[in-house]
Amino acid sequence: MTTGTTSPTDTAPARTGRRPRGRYGAPAALIAPFLVLFTACTLVPIGYAVWLSLFTEHRSGLGFGGSTTVFDGIGNYTHVLADHAFRSGFVTIGCYVVLYIPVMVALSLALSLLLDSALVRARRFVQLSLFLPHAVPGVIAALIWAFLYTPGVSPVVAALGGGLNILGHPLPAVVNVAVWEWTGYNVVIFYAALQAVPREVLEAAVVDGAGPLRTALSIKVPLIRSSLAVVALFTVIGSLQLFTEPTILQGAAPGITSSWTPNMFAWTAAFTNDDYGVAAASSVILAVAAAALSFVVTRATRNRPARRTETAA
Amino acid sequence: MPTASPRPARVARTAAALTASAVSLAVLTACGSSGSGPSAAPAAPGKPVSLTFWGWAKGTADVVAAFNASHKDVHVDFQQIPSGNAGGYAKIADAEKAGNAPDLFNVEYAKLPEFVSQGYVQDITKAVPDSVRSQYLPQTMGLTTLGGETWGLPLDAAPQALFYRKDLFGKAGITTAPTTWADFRADAVKLKAAEPSTRIATFFPDDPSTLEALSWQNDAQWFGTQGDTWKVNLKDAGTAKVAAYWQDMISSDLVNVMPSFSQQWTSSLVKGDTAAYLGAAWGGGVLKSTLASAPGQSGQWAVAPIPSWDGQPASGMLGGTTFAVSKASRNTAAALEFAEWATTTTDGIKARIGSGTSSAFPADPSLVPVAKSAFDTTFYGGQDIYGVFVAGAASIKKGWTWGPAMGTTNTSLTDSFGKLSSGGTLAGALDGAQSATVNALTGAGLKVTQ
Repeated sequence: MTTGTTSPTDTAPARTGRRPRGRYGAPAALIAPFLVLFTACTLVPIGYAVWLSLFTEHRSGLGFGGSTTVFDGIGNYTHVLADHAFRSGFVTIGCYVVLYIPVMVALSLALSLLLDSALVRARRFVQLSLFLPHAVPGVIAALIWAFLYTPGVSPVVAALGGGLNILGHPLPAVVNVAVWEWTGYNVVIFYAALQAVPREVLEAAVVDGAGPLRTALSIKVPLIRSSLAVVALFTVIGSLQLFTEPTILQGAAPGITSSWTPNMFAWTAAFTNDDYGVAAASSVILAVAAAALSFVVTRATRNRPARRTETAA
Repeated sequence: MPTASPRPARVARTAAALTASAVSLAVLTACGSSGSGPSAAPAAPGKPVSLTFWGWAKGTADVVAAFNASHKDVHVDFQQIPSGNAGGYAKIADAEKAGNAPDLFNVEYAKLPEFVSQGYVQDITKAVPDSVRSQYLPQTMGLTTLGGETWGLPLDAAPQALFYRKDLFGKAGITTAPTTWADFRADAVKLKAAEPSTRIATFFPDDPSTLEALSWQNDAQWFGTQGDTWKVNLKDAGTAKVAAYWQDMISSDLVNVMPSFSQQWTSSLVKGDTAAYLGAAWGGGVLKSTLASAPGQSGQWAVAPIPSWDGQPASGMLGGTTFAVSKASRNTAAALEFAEWATTTTDGIKARIGSGTSSAFPADPSLVPVAKSAFDTTFYGGQDIYGVFVAGAASIKKGWTWGPAMGTTNTSLTDSFGKLSSGGTLAGALDGAQSATVNALTGAGLKVTQ
């Protein structure tokens, strides 16, 4: 690994007065829109949320004189963290992830392995149809499923004898919607990874006498393990944001409470209870949790190739 | 010119990049719509005052159209918003916080104290003359008077009423509507015996307002004030009796448990699986428009006074809407001119009821005959439904006060109601709502006794 390396000084350009501007002008101009939007749409709102989370509304007398905003330090944070409803939102997410990820990953893996095998006719068509549910916005999907779940309205419930009370079990109801929405999307990712598996490895397996099933399970799946891990981790992070589907289903399933997920807790605090301080504090806590998880994911995915070369060497 | 200096190309690239970013930013900023805030500037002489108004009550668009057609000095810009708990209140609260709220908006009696204490509502005590104030039913004016000041003009009173299917009741051998809650339970048993899939009514787990009205009917007082202290008591004897009764109705499977005004509820009405609806005066229009296209419904429905515990007429108030002026509005006079016209004039009430979708009971009792003649009662077999509402309105119990954090109270109740099918109880729900409400009030710096 020593050949071909050049010391940085060899290639560093002679810095004249004008060159850096010419050199960095185009990248700066291309990055500027992102930076402007990132600042305006992400950094500023986060800063504002942090600011809001430090204040609370106070009233006097019977409260009809309006309210005054007072500094409360970390009062909103301690309030939120002590709130049983907020913590149970994370428990809901935990149960959701435990139920959702194995089902969704197994299903998309199985479908992508089938697509990658010689068994499937009309591959393009199948791929497109699998992906199609993902093109349906979450709100619409939840509305459709709410209709399909409702006894007395749904043809599905009627076909199953009418006794199915899926709305009484919100967790599987929401997981089912998510599986429907995301399986096709992850099939695309897994299928792309499978296409990148070196053909000579597969040929070697065939020469060694492995059948299609054995090839799939012992060769293909281990070789796309990193894709599996990435999908699983991204799904966990995405699950923290769970809001749309349960919020829509709430109209049909009273078992979904107003603080069923942490995002719903924040929404209710802001728009039903008019407590922007608590809403901001819970959002900041959620953002920190998501950022921590994202950090873990980026570290994990960045280290993987290095580790593989180590073991290969 | 074999080799060109890289500079012109680079300059061109930079220019292209700059143009691209400028274009993309322009496109993005163009996507943001320019919202219209309250029309702050008073109108120039000769030009009408333009007034923004948000609401959702049935028939409001017709009222605004009639007002605009007959008034040269004020023009109302009406925007239909989702009903309060379905997102309307969130929209108003956000707009108030963002400083682009409408001049005038609708808010139900139950939510008014919370909006007042959030500082969203203008004190209109001085702007409303006593001659106007005295036109409204005292119970409704009482609910818009908080801390001795006036905060809104009542649109409707909402006496409770029982809407029921005459044919289904008749099939079960019931000839008269129940007058007591004991009768109501007995009728529920008969209806279920006659047709196993039929339940007498529905308990709405997503909406505590029926339980609140039934508690009100039974002399409960969840909230009260003593000096500058709030009294919160969701567990008085009146409420406990109502909660125990409905707990038994649910546990004995004598009522359906379904979300209010949901597809599921509508479907059960259409199929005859639900034989009655515990509503209020405004429910007459809602039920009629909900079932307008369903076959075999028109003419089968009738209205009766809400059953009571002792058979004597008694009612709480279920819903009911007011007009409130935004704190920041500078068009108070024009806003009140419209609100008064909509609530206290023949033309205003006629326009609302004539829309065919509203059976609101005017808060101004002198206009009840106007509403009565404007409402088409074919759906109720020609019955004088306003006659039932008038008796109901006269029996509305006095002294009920809504709390200053009904959002919190109702959210807590609704969350607990959702667990009724998995072991939750109404008594437990009331316990939870009591402590959630007390915590919210003390957290906001208010003094509370229990």
